[in-house]
Amino acid sequence: MEIDREDGRTPNQLRPLACSRNILHRPHGSASWSQGDTKVLAAVYGPKAGTKKNENAEKACFEVIWKPKTGQIGKVEKEYEMIMKRTIQSICVLTVNPNTTTSVIIQVVHDDGSLLPCAINAACAALVDAGIPMKHLAVAICCCLADNGYVVLDPNKLEEKKMSAFAYLVFPNTTLSVLPEGSSVADGEPVEHGIITSVTHGVMSVDDYFLCVENGCAAAASLSAFFRKNFQQSQRDSSKAG
Amino acid sequence: MGTEVSTSPTSLIDQTVVPGDVVLDLSNMTNQTIKLGSGLFQDNDAISAMRAGKLRYTKPNKYWVESSHKRYIPRPEDAVLGIVVDSKSDNFWVDIKGPQLALLPVLAFEGGTRRNIPKFEVGTLLYVRVVKTNTGMNPELSCTDASGKAAGFGPLKDGFMFETSTGLSRMLLSSPTCPVLEALGKKLSFETAFGLNGRVWVHAAAPRVVIIVANALMNSETLSGTQQRIMVEKLLEKISE
Repeated sequence: MEIDREDGRTPNQLRPLACSRNILHRPHGSASWSQGDTKVLAAVYGPKAGTKKNENAEKACFEVIWKPKTGQIGKVEKEYEMIMKRTIQSICVLTVNPNTTTSVIIQVVHDDGSLLPCAINAACAALVDAGIPMKHLAVAICCCLADNGYVVLDPNKLEEKKMSAFAYLVFPNTTLSVLPEGSSVADGEPVEHGIITSVTHGVMSVDDYFLCVENGCAAAASLSAFFRKNFQQSQRDSSKAG
Repeated sequence: MGTEVSTSPTSLIDQTVVPGDVVLDLSNMTNQTIKLGSGLFQDNDAISAMRAGKLRYTKPNKYWVESSHKRYIPRPEDAVLGIVVDSKSDNFWVDIKGPQLALLPVLAFEGGTRRNIPKFEVGTLLYVRVVKTNTGMNPELSCTDASGKAAGFGPLKDGFMFETSTGLSRMLLSSPTCPVLEALGKKLSFETAFGLNGRVWVHAAAPRVVIIVANALMNSETLSGTQQRIMVEKLLEKISE
């Protein structure tokens, strides 16, 4: 039994994605990521010398500044900043540039549902544009649970309000490898099936949560493929001279 | 589940890689010394990419990821353009667009002794060579080449400095000479200094020559050889009216 979504998508279908990098002049890396109508701009400055107080000087430090579209900065924005900081810290290689600070600034251009995953994707693209060393990319997706138990991916704002629970999930990207298959495993599962961050709202059962994770993982693979293709195309456009 | 790659690619050399791609498997290559350049890091037996770019290989054993960014990662024996931000009794603090400020010892000049220490004001542009880069320490610079001669290093007077990406600097420094520089050099006379950290200095007798050269260089990043020549011709035509 399929659910009817207002814009005619199937439950597992994502909205149209668009990503462009190196769009701002002053930051060292910048990217804009849009999923349907939700659009987020990310800018990266750094690495710059010196860490903040109370931060480990043997590792690189990250700071995230979240700027909402309208209104003052409040608890919601601070929470997003903390989630993003922890996500970025786990995907970046912290030992390469010790005692430096990298700032990531997120500007919400339009919010139409699935805002935090869109912001995480934009920040990841901006970090790649700035050349910050990373272990792998982070691919984020929002999965929500409808009343009749179905999992719906990438909701827009109206759908998010109607759902009983939703989860933002962040996975590592699918990587190309010259290793023979099956060797990049950790505890019997390929690295891509791991999970970096998970934020949930509402009430859902454990089985439903695992169902969300499964569906999200499959969608993450198509998001990584999009990112890789987007990057390859921009490389091709800019290196015709080579 | 998902889209697993059914046959792992045998080699990713000269292909675009994104962070996380495993590019080399060390368990197959025993008894070989491999040199890893920028953008690669070692995770036990697998070498994976840290940055997104093209994987390059030169014989006998050098691998690196080529990418162009606005910031610079200091490497020894690179010639860069730095700006003095502070001067202390032993060192000058120089900004080279890297993660840390770099140190230029006060005696690292040809014939430098305690009696003839150069006085650089804050904001002086210097053409320097990177000597040492250790993780966690500030990079060290020198105004002499490896044998102690000046070889063109030192302060750059007059002229105009602008910032570009590291990829453009590498292209302008490549040999044989870049087409845009050849085409400009046939008609105009000017002096340039390119730093591998993305800074370019241009000097000429007339300001309009400086402006033409600077604009031509800034536009040539994404153009192919013939496109660069056409662009330079159009610029020069407009000017000589």
